[in-house]
Amino acid sequence: MKTYTYTESQKLFQRATKVIPCGIYGHLSPAPLIPADAYPFYVSKALGSRFWDVDGNEFIDYMCAYGPMVMGYNYKPVDDAAARQYAQANCVTSPGPVMVELAEKLVDVVSIADWAFFAKNGNDVTTYASMVARKATGRKKMVLIKGGYHGVAPWAQTFGHHGILEEDGQNTIRIPWNDFEAFKKVVDQHPNDIAGFMATPYHHPTFVDNEMPAPGYWEKVETLCKAKGIVLIVDDIRCGFRLDMRGSHEYFGFKPDLVCFCKAIGNGYPISALVGTDALKNDAAKVFYTGSYWFSAAPMAAALATLNEMEAINGPKVMTEFGEKLKKGLVDVAANHGYDLKVTGHPAMPYLRITDDPTLMLHQNWCAECTKRGAFFSSHHNWFVSTAHTREDLDRTLEIADDAFLAIKNNNE
Amino acid sequence: MNHDLVLANLNLYAVLPNLEELVRHDEEMALLTRDWDICIQFSVLRGPSAFVEFKNGTCTVGRGKHSNPTVKLFFLTPGHMNKMFDGKSQPVPLKGFTKLGFLAKEFSKLTDRMEYYLKPTEDSLSNPDFVFLNTLMTMHTAGRAVSELALGDPVGKHVVQGMMDGSLMMKVLPEGPAITINFKNGRASMQKGESANPMACMFLKNMEIANSLLNQKLDAFSAIAGGDVMIRGQTPMLDAMDLILDRIPHYLDA
Repeated sequence: MKTYTYTESQKLFQRATKVIPCGIYGHLSPAPLIPADAYPFYVSKALGSRFWDVDGNEFIDYMCAYGPMVMGYNYKPVDDAAARQYAQANCVTSPGPVMVELAEKLVDVVSIADWAFFAKNGNDVTTYASMVARKATGRKKMVLIKGGYHGVAPWAQTFGHHGILEEDGQNTIRIPWNDFEAFKKVVDQHPNDIAGFMATPYHHPTFVDNEMPAPGYWEKVETLCKAKGIVLIVDDIRCGFRLDMRGSHEYFGFKPDLVCFCKAIGNGYPISALVGTDALKNDAAKVFYTGSYWFSAAPMAAALATLNEMEAINGPKVMTEFGEKLKKGLVDVAANHGYDLKVTGHPAMPYLRITDDPTLMLHQNWCAECTKRGAFFSSHHNWFVSTAHTREDLDRTLEIADDAFLAIKNNNE
Repeated sequence: MNHDLVLANLNLYAVLPNLEELVRHDEEMALLTRDWDICIQFSVLRGPSAFVEFKNGTCTVGRGKHSNPTVKLFFLTPGHMNKMFDGKSQPVPLKGFTKLGFLAKEFSKLTDRMEYYLKPTEDSLSNPDFVFLNTLMTMHTAGRAVSELALGDPVGKHVVQGMMDGSLMMKVLPEGPAITINFKNGRASMQKGESANPMACMFLKNMEIANSLLNQKLDAFSAIAGGDVMIRGQTPMLDAMDLILDRIPHYLDA
């Protein structure tokens, strides 16, 4: 099978390093793609489940822009809705009616939502959620999960990382995932000082197997939060609308007070949302929080269209079914070559790891070989599937996976 | 652990051992020390200690106290010793008074030469031999510093506690020097050379790239993406090591 080269990507990257810190920063940095020379750095166009890089290589995309792409790139109903709104008004002195329509839609769709607040990025709303929790309770501390990611604001990062002070985390307590006793202990140790508990619906850190909640975990957390007046916050930024249109808490059967959405809400248009219960509406109103582009109407129109379209086709079901087939197909292909491919997490957001090598080097090699053949696989982050992935994508992916296993076997011999 | 004590540990356990490579690789220093038969003990009151022994043309730097040093140099505080490393104070000699002249003249030539190699200039970096030894010594200093910072620096201690056990290898390609840093139970230790089963690897494309990266003239993210630095395996270990290494300038460049 032909493998790709990335001459133009590399040229562009060398130009970038002269004018942009580390060329491409943040989660799109090529540095964590291992080895980096197996991956494209720049995209020229995208359509459906695929994108083409600046060298003309075509990829079936299993990262979906790290989550925002949920119905396919350039998905016409969403793009048309955004275009119509752009033609009328986008970033103006006052918000457009679509802001109200979108809030009503979220209140209608998300089971616990009595109100909605809009921003741009996931971190905007996780930060806002913690502020609302502090306002509502008059308490300081937030309990988070070790290894959980809630954005790049200093409070959400851990001490030791560049630019983060010890003081930034002095009101953050991190406990292990699925350890209810640890949560209970923290609550006992800090009576009347825990403002909120924030976690993703299931644990999806990088570099390690993803973990579903243990039976009864969320139920116990919810009960304790209610008993102690702690605001229960779900960071549904990655999972939201991929597991369940009503919010991932419904998938796992519990009721939080606040839910943070981003990524899948707008199919790539920049928007995030915090939704909450009526009990917290006045507190949310009192926290002053805003941004220059948070009222832009076109992303709101895109989000409204995305939610309508996703509801109409039952997007989570479509993605789950594709994810199940992908998982089975890849596990079988790996087994045919004598490898144990472990898939954890939800089928719509699978995390994969070849267990035969604890260093991950074998897994990195396989993901790299797949990418060089046209299936964009990250080796350390959960993947994302979309409603645009097709049977043809699946078949081609399995062919690529098979050839990549052959390649790593040959390389090792 | 306060700043002075961390710096004293770095000076004694991360910087001073570079004398071994200096004597091994620098012809002039090898010649200078060829016939030396002396052991110098450095001790800080209620603090770190190390010795430097010259015998049969080789130099050995050891942690702790030597059983029978020729010269004993004593320091009242870690700060007192750090000032000596900066050439701003004198130790208290407890043994080997007849060797004080040797220390002032001969031994100083050696330490001056080590300083020359550890503080590169544009001029000195045009010499490939200098680049090799500067790279080697900086790499060893960095590796040894990781274990000291993991013990004493607040950021280093915090970061290393969250690291998985295993070894991390850094190697200059194609056949350049390598170090392995072993992490276990929140402690780190360095050994010279490659690891047979590293959990994570960092390969530096050549000596020039290695020198730029170790002297903090190269952005690691760009270098990785551009292929000058190649990483493999449990890369969170490399991220953590980078956070610890970034603490070195808080002490040694301060």
